[in-house]
Amino acid sequence: MFLPVAIAVLFSFNGGRSRSVWQGFSLRWWTGEPNASLLHDETLHSALRNSLVLALLTMLVATPIGIALAIGLARWRSRTASGANWLMLVPLVTPEIVMGASLLLVFTNLYTGIPLGRPAQLLGHVTFSISYVVVVARGRLLSIGRDYEEAARDLGASQLQAIRLVLLPLLAPAIFAGFVIVFAMSIDDFVISAFLSSGAGSETVPVRIYSAVRTSSTPALNALASFLVASTLVALALGASVMSWFRRRRGTKESALADLTSVGI
Amino acid sequence: MKNRQPERRRPTTSASRAPVSRRQFLGGSAAAAGGLVLGPSILAACGSDGGSGTALKLARPDKPVTLPSVGDAVAAGKAHEGGTLQILNYVDYLNPDVVARFEETYGVKTAVTTYDTEEGALNKLRSGAFTPDLIIGMTDSVLSRLVAAELLQPLNHSYLSNFGNVIEGLRDPYYDVGAQYTTPYIIYSTGIGYRTDMDVDTSYFESGNGWDILWDPAYSGRLGILDSYRDVIGSVLHRNGEDINTGDQKVLNAALEDLREMSAATNPKIDILAYTEVPAGTRVVNQCWSGDMLLGVWYLPEDASWTELGYWQPDEMVTGNDVFCVARNAERPVLAHEFINFFLDVDNALENFGWTGYQPALEALDAQTLIDWEYVPANLANALITPAQYAKGNRAVALEPDVDARWTDVWAKFTAG
Amino acid sequence: MTGAPTSLKTSDGSRQRGDRGTLWGLFALPGTVWLLVLFVVPFYALVCVAFGDIDPVFRNAVPAWNPLDWSFGTAGEVLGEIFGGSLRKVFLRTISYVVCAVVLSFFVGYPVAYYLARHAGRWRGLLLALMVLPFWVNYLMRMLAWVNLLQVDGWVTRAFSVFGVQVNWLDGQPVTVVLGLVYGYVPFLVLPLYAALERLDGRLLEAARDLGAGPGRTFRLVTIPLSRPGMLGAGVIIALPMFGDYYTNDMLSRSPATEMVGNQVDFYLNATTQPQKGAVLVLVLSALLVVLMSYYLVSTMRMQREIRA
Repeated sequence: MFLPVAIAVLFSFNGGRSRSVWQGFSLRWWTGEPNASLLHDETLHSALRNSLVLALLTMLVATPIGIALAIGLARWRSRTASGANWLMLVPLVTPEIVMGASLLLVFTNLYTGIPLGRPAQLLGHVTFSISYVVVVARGRLLSIGRDYEEAARDLGASQLQAIRLVLLPLLAPAIFAGFVIVFAMSIDDFVISAFLSSGAGSETVPVRIYSAVRTSSTPALNALASFLVASTLVALALGASVMSWFRRRRGTKESALADLTSVGI
Repeated sequence: MKNRQPERRRPTTSASRAPVSRRQFLGGSAAAAGGLVLGPSILAACGSDGGSGTALKLARPDKPVTLPSVGDAVAAGKAHEGGTLQILNYVDYLNPDVVARFEETYGVKTAVTTYDTEEGALNKLRSGAFTPDLIIGMTDSVLSRLVAAELLQPLNHSYLSNFGNVIEGLRDPYYDVGAQYTTPYIIYSTGIGYRTDMDVDTSYFESGNGWDILWDPAYSGRLGILDSYRDVIGSVLHRNGEDINTGDQKVLNAALEDLREMSAATNPKIDILAYTEVPAGTRVVNQCWSGDMLLGVWYLPEDASWTELGYWQPDEMVTGNDVFCVARNAERPVLAHEFINFFLDVDNALENFGWTGYQPALEALDAQTLIDWEYVPANLANALITPAQYAKGNRAVALEPDVDARWTDVWAKFTAG
Repeated sequence: MTGAPTSLKTSDGSRQRGDRGTLWGLFALPGTVWLLVLFVVPFYALVCVAFGDIDPVFRNAVPAWNPLDWSFGTAGEVLGEIFGGSLRKVFLRTISYVVCAVVLSFFVGYPVAYYLARHAGRWRGLLLALMVLPFWVNYLMRMLAWVNLLQVDGWVTRAFSVFGVQVNWLDGQPVTVVLGLVYGYVPFLVLPLYAALERLDGRLLEAARDLGAGPGRTFRLVTIPLSRPGMLGAGVIIALPMFGDYYTNDMLSRSPATEMVGNQVDFYLNATTQPQKGAVLVLVLSALLVVLMSYYLVSTMRMQREIRA
């Protein structure tokens, strides 16, 4: 499963210009080559910068909205609530091309005040991320239950205080998982970023890889992709270790992976 | 003319080099006006009585268009404004060394904002997202809309002392009679790039039916065509002896059938990578633009010779060009004129050419000069367009909107397999 | 929950004192409004563009916001193409690629998920992490890795040529595209399948064995039928994005011989003056997939209700 990817990472250290013929080990595509290496090539930089900035912004916007939505949906009981629940689930099953096409059309015909490029891409990324945050938080919310909040209210706290001081800290692992997952999904996204891009200035790394893959471009492309994968994995590892830390503090026995894998379910 | 050898630059391998932008602008030029909402000023400029039934007058080589005079040119004899010149351009479309020399000579700075497609740039200019002084790389298909949207100011030719260097065919172009708003930048043609050292049957080219080589099964799997519906369908029409701007549905259907035959016979790759793939040897025949082969010499393996690349174009070539123009609300119009003039200078244009690979539209840069000065290998002489050829060549002009829609339909059907 | 203080509870477990719906509604408000504005409205815009007009001069889409203004001319044209013209091949091809890819993915993914769910034991955590990992490696990078290997001088091609077989993988081969889809989407299959298989009641399998069934028969007659809902769900999860996929084809083949619906949509929307046709195609695709989508939604909701109970 990993072998092709591992080989691709290996080739980013290739001594020659080919991405498929091994010509010895070297760091030239990472730092050495004056114009074309990852360290020096401005277009690769801008793609990387765009991906990371977009992912960070998406993470900061989508996670709070998603957590709030999860809390609201878990507690709210009414017909509107179940409608909102359906609404939240639909993006999860919508093919990205449908979402990308409709967002492109709406930004060019209705919400014309919002320019294509990073603003539109940010809005698009947040839109598909919210549902993932809700799914991740939901399991946790269910297992936490309402007892702690009710205890707090018994002790005199208002509902909001109970949420702020009791529920949110309990929810912290899920919030963190939400951050990590949104970050990773935003970095990985291709279709929405491509449809809503405004040109070379707002290319993200996947879009860059897509446009360069069939050319004879250098292993710097492999280096770029490897760097991106590494940052995703670092984010995940960070997330997992922070969550293990949370677990140890709380003394529960659930696996740290449960939150991360719940996304696939 | 100084006989100066240029500083040659090995291009980066970034895929966002000019050839990509070229594809975008050629593919996009006759196409999308998507999302564009035009105001009454345009219709007024067309002399129509309003209503969307009237079309913008589309210029044709045999029906030249005098663009309406919108606004005033900058007054003559002023000193340049200094400061930072804002340029709107494609990526990698100017030699940074030449630009640096301009900056030194005039004691100014420049800042480049890039665009990918003409239509996108047009939208941004209208919305005010872009506020350049100088605009580079637009073609005649958006020109009339640029003028009608009051985005350009007329040029004051008193600042353009080098204008006489422009090739004759473009001093009074059909799309801008009197060169009121534009000065040509780069010219190019569409043809076939090929390897001279592999089993390519050059008798096709000698007989003048060069396009037929694209149907020869001997090259199956090693052949490519451009990912541009105008260029591909246009070439097929050219081969069939038809008008390359036709709207005749029967003719287009026949072209579609030919394309399907080609697909079955040679399974062509469809992209704009001729400039890397032919030098790499993975393709031996590729429809491409003239600049692609000129750029291609830099992508040959280290031990290869320049003579391995060849280029063919039909006698009645298909040519095109793009332009310089100055924005209406430019803060530094005089400086913009100075910049244009700087690049109309033969030496500067030559050095620019050495870097971008695209041929400037200057009379003095004929094939022999460029070969003598070793800007271009002798075997690629016919990738250069002589002014005489340019004057005779066919132009792929902007199509009427509904004709354009039918062209894109043909392309969609072809790619549907 | 252990350690939680006791409190007054009604029989269905929900707290009644001061349980104002409005507070929760407010929590849900930002998210709901966001989704309405940026998910529902864009879809409506898509519909309005598809059934709208084209400015005859400039060929930009003029969406018809009022349903009464909808015109179905272009939609009719496109449907005509689909049922009788060049788009029919594209749709059929896409469907066959997706079906093949999903089936193959099951052949690869089911054993892995099964092993993880039922046998992994001590190593489960680690193996699960390893299985999750490809999910997080950028899809494009995984395809890039394959493109490198499948190029004319790539390792896979050279390995094959050692055996005298010369294949141009990137040359417009359906096999490459289907296998690419499989490689790309298998990680998305394994997780939900693992979750479903994990929930299988082991006692049922033991019972089957107690009744004398060998492992093969147990698998065929008990495990597979029990895991069928999970399999369907997982299959739908990967089939849905595959239908809209266009970049796998573009990266691995880019030839008319392997054109998928997504490619045509991408062309019409991003490279022509006919966004209307692109919009209609997207609508047709959605209509085709709505069956799959609602199946998945309904079964998810059912599962959620079961978990809550």
